[in-house]
Amino acid sequence: MTALQQGLTLFFSLLVEAIPFLLLGVLFSSVLLLWVEPEQLLKILPRHPLGGAIAGAVLGCLLPVCECGNVPVARRLLTQGMPASVAVGFLLGAPTINPIVLWSTWVAFRDQPVMVWGRVGLTLLVAVVVGWVFSVQQDLRPFLQPAVAQMMPKPMAQTVREPVLSGVPTGNFFALAGGKTLPLETTGWNGARLLSRRGQWQLVWVTALTELRELGGVLILGTAVAAAIQVLTPREVILGLGQGPVTSVMAMLVLGTVVSICSTVDAFFALSFAGSFTAGALLAFLVFGPMVDLKGISLLLTVFRPRAVLYLFLLAGLLTFVLTLAMNLYL
Amino acid sequence: MNGLDLLALGAWGVLLLKYWLTGQLAVLIHPNYFPLTIGAGGLLVGLVAWQGWVRWREPGQPQVWPESHPLLPRAWGRFLLLSTAVVGLIVTPRPFNSQIALESGELLQMTRTLPQQFRPANRPEERSLVDWVRLLNVYPEPDAYQGQKARVTGFVVHPPDSPANRFFIARFVVTCCAADAYPVGMPVDLPSGDAKQYPADTWLEIRGKMGTGQVKGQRRLVLQAEQVTPIQPPANPYLY
Repeated sequence: MTALQQGLTLFFSLLVEAIPFLLLGVLFSSVLLLWVEPEQLLKILPRHPLGGAIAGAVLGCLLPVCECGNVPVARRLLTQGMPASVAVGFLLGAPTINPIVLWSTWVAFRDQPVMVWGRVGLTLLVAVVVGWVFSVQQDLRPFLQPAVAQMMPKPMAQTVREPVLSGVPTGNFFALAGGKTLPLETTGWNGARLLSRRGQWQLVWVTALTELRELGGVLILGTAVAAAIQVLTPREVILGLGQGPVTSVMAMLVLGTVVSICSTVDAFFALSFAGSFTAGALLAFLVFGPMVDLKGISLLLTVFRPRAVLYLFLLAGLLTFVLTLAMNLYL
Repeated sequence: MNGLDLLALGAWGVLLLKYWLTGQLAVLIHPNYFPLTIGAGGLLVGLVAWQGWVRWREPGQPQVWPESHPLLPRAWGRFLLLSTAVVGLIVTPRPFNSQIALESGELLQMTRTLPQQFRPANRPEERSLVDWVRLLNVYPEPDAYQGQKARVTGFVVHPPDSPANRFFIARFVVTCCAADAYPVGMPVDLPSGDAKQYPADTWLEIRGKMGTGQVKGQRRLVLQAEQVTPIQPPANPYLY
């Protein structure tokens, strides 16, 4: 009985703390989806591999999208000749390096500021290094899904052009009066511009609530997992796993891959393990979780071929592992 | 967005507002974040009401923006949101109790509390339990506090194999929400009698003087109780 009550208190306290941030995140990203044109950013991004990787990772500050929103954006940018280093840096860095995620991480770990700085620092490092490595491959097309690769200009012809989306069905439709629908790709890439002001706002609300339903469901599942592990696992098992410098990091990397909570609120998930896991392990979860998880893989496969996704996954995972292990051992 | 989606999201808005209005929010999260939760609850209820009105009065407005790769089937998200909100509306969250304080194993270690401020030394009886523990963390010599007056409130914990006249008085400390709650506590010696007369989880106010005693083979600060008063559990069970 005590365990059930403890579990429920844990579950609802995590949700009550996380849902405001999730709401903020979906509202922010819906507004930006309609009004910010990432294509304009392409013109000012650096071409140098290292500079591009850094710029890509920091792009999240201008386009605060969590990992669910950034794959479609990256796909759109790739089809317009975005350098590989920028695309990969953006894919790995943007879900973490943005204001809402940093705010919620700070709220969760107010008494351990090292978690916030460590999260930013390690994410930047991993995103930039992996982005840099991918930039060695001048022509990204062999790595991409054929549909995306066809859309890409040759690496030398780096002119930004008006995007054509018809080759990549997005699965997004406008609902028109009378139950008719209009596929997004037939409207030019930002079809929302065609709507009236009233209609645009209506789209913002509908997008935000739809995302909230989807991400809220994932959040509830993840929170239930966190609460169940806390309550059902014997304390000795958790401590045995969580106090070892190597085992704790491994466990959190696996958990970060399986639990697909949106990066906006995953700090609260990590928080519930704060008493029993090493700081490096929590950081591994916070850094690696947003980069690769089950949901992210299915999204990434719409852009990259499986082999490239595997490289991304392994590189980012190994880097995170080594860095957080070093932190456990030497700090 | 169909009617059920709106109902599920609206139920969560209502749940957040219910926690605020019934004061149960204090059991779940740190008061710093009350405005966020209350704001989100109000915003959710407002948005859902507005969308309901739009659905009803202007069915021509865009109402669908299907995501291309849903991780969960639509019905799942709706079902999870609605069912958890209903559970939340029915169940009253309970603060953690003495059993959890004991299991966490941190009651005797006191390693996580960092001092944030100190009460003036000439009024030691105004220190709360967590003030005492933080002070001890910074300057652990128990003799420094010999004879100081103390007045603390908390709940009773009976650690196994402690002397017959001793129990621990404990509180949970929270920095973000109940998920990171950890216990702080202090041994209390009754002048006479059996500590078991106060069952675990009873809330007490204890007045007395600080002294020293052996706790698990270590010399530590022990509160010598002079007056023990049972009190109502406070609406806000945590210290910060």
